[in-house]
Amino acid sequence: MIDFDPSTFGLAHTYQKEDKDEINTLALPSAPQVIYKTLNGPTQISGGNKLNNFKHGTTTLGFVFKEGILLAVDSRASMGSFLSSEQVRKVIEINEYLLGTMAGGAADCQYWLAYLANHCRTYELKNGSKLSVAAASKFLQGILIGYRNSGLSMGCMIAGTDTTGQHLYYIDNDGMRLKGDIFSVGSGSTYAYGVLDNHYRYDLSLDEAVELGIRAIYHATHRDTASGGVVRVYHIHQDGWTKVHDGIDVVDLHYRFAQQKGLVGDGDEAKQRLF
Amino acid sequence: MSGIFEYNGGSIVGMKGKNCIAMACDRRFGQQMSTITTNYQKVFKIQDNILLALSGLNSDIHTFYALMEKEINLYNLKENRKMKPTTFANLVASSLYERRFGPFFVTPIVAGLENGKPILATYDSIGCKSDLDDFQVGGTGGNYIYGACEAFFKPDMSPEELEEVIGQSLVSGCDRDSLSGWGGVVYVLTEQKLTVKILKTKQT
Repeated sequence: MIDFDPSTFGLAHTYQKEDKDEINTLALPSAPQVIYKTLNGPTQISGGNKLNNFKHGTTTLGFVFKEGILLAVDSRASMGSFLSSEQVRKVIEINEYLLGTMAGGAADCQYWLAYLANHCRTYELKNGSKLSVAAASKFLQGILIGYRNSGLSMGCMIAGTDTTGQHLYYIDNDGMRLKGDIFSVGSGSTYAYGVLDNHYRYDLSLDEAVELGIRAIYHATHRDTASGGVVRVYHIHQDGWTKVHDGIDVVDLHYRFAQQKGLVGDGDEAKQRLF
Repeated sequence: MSGIFEYNGGSIVGMKGKNCIAMACDRRFGQQMSTITTNYQKVFKIQDNILLALSGLNSDIHTFYALMEKEINLYNLKENRKMKPTTFANLVASSLYERRFGPFFVTPIVAGLENGKPILATYDSIGCKSDLDDFQVGGTGGNYIYGACEAFFKPDMSPEELEEVIGQSLVSGCDRDSLSGWGGVVYVLTEQKLTVKILKTKQT
């Protein structure tokens, strides 16, 4: 608690009179001592623990192909090694023609993508035409650069359709904005890239692209402990976006893929019988 | 997850039944957030009537098991008889304390049948033995398994019931721990036989 003498408020010291008794000579109130400490990121709050760095605890991917853009995400949220949820929605529906993926701080992603949605709608009403994906992603980048070093954690992809076609951008809390054809974000991204890079072609059909996205996410959930739950798949095309799959359980996928290869899927394929 | 006990991850659980005991473990071998294999052995048959389950740093799981295997083999050769489960339980405690100032990073559970009577003992990493409980857990998913055990456990269960209960507890517990899972194995030991069952679990 800092005590202020009420007489120190209000009157600005604009001139000095010789007779000092007539005017309340006041000292400008001294500002309370507030120390602002910038954090390097959410990891600093939790003591630098790598696993509590929420930006990394996920797998999301997106790629451009001839039928538009495919987005696939997992649905696991973990606090350290504790699984807090297996049913998180990591694709945020900004509006009918724009989607954002969530990686990092969930609150940060949800809030700022909703803020972006508001901005897009306002633009549409004022200007009579929809905001382009490039402009929407640039707007978000501008916000994040403004909050640089203040501890926001976001590694999101903005994907959408406009008059020039379907576009995919990667935006993160450092203020990076990259346009690209293939992105994967999160701790499981390395596993997803392995599958994605192997089978990606621009001229995939929609079914093939959906299958590729599902497989890539599945492989990431199998190897990465911070990814799991269900796979959600969205397709962006010239008329907006469609939710292709709302939640395919990766456990079912594991046993289905094993069966397709003629295996059991119990980790004992080499029959070493280590038990 | 920055601790050495959390580096590899893994969970174990042991339970007593009516003239039988059961042990269960997950099968994951990982390095922090990455899963390397899904068939790592964490429960070992020391003798026909003694099982040793180990959780913690996988390197020490293997080393401590090898040490106990050596001890029991030498005992068999010297004394020309089998080791009693209560004796083995004591041996584990003193072997752990021998390394008091450079411990094995493991939390063992010993289970056995002595004259038909079930024995279950658990330890911290420096050998404090606790052998009065009906079920015990260990590993990164231990606390979550406790909850399921408390809910499902009842005393004097038959081997079939025990197998069901311990399997369910392990799976429910490991499902909430990102560092445990990727398969499960249940061992049920009775006077007549040791049954080993592989559980079909989440592979994520």
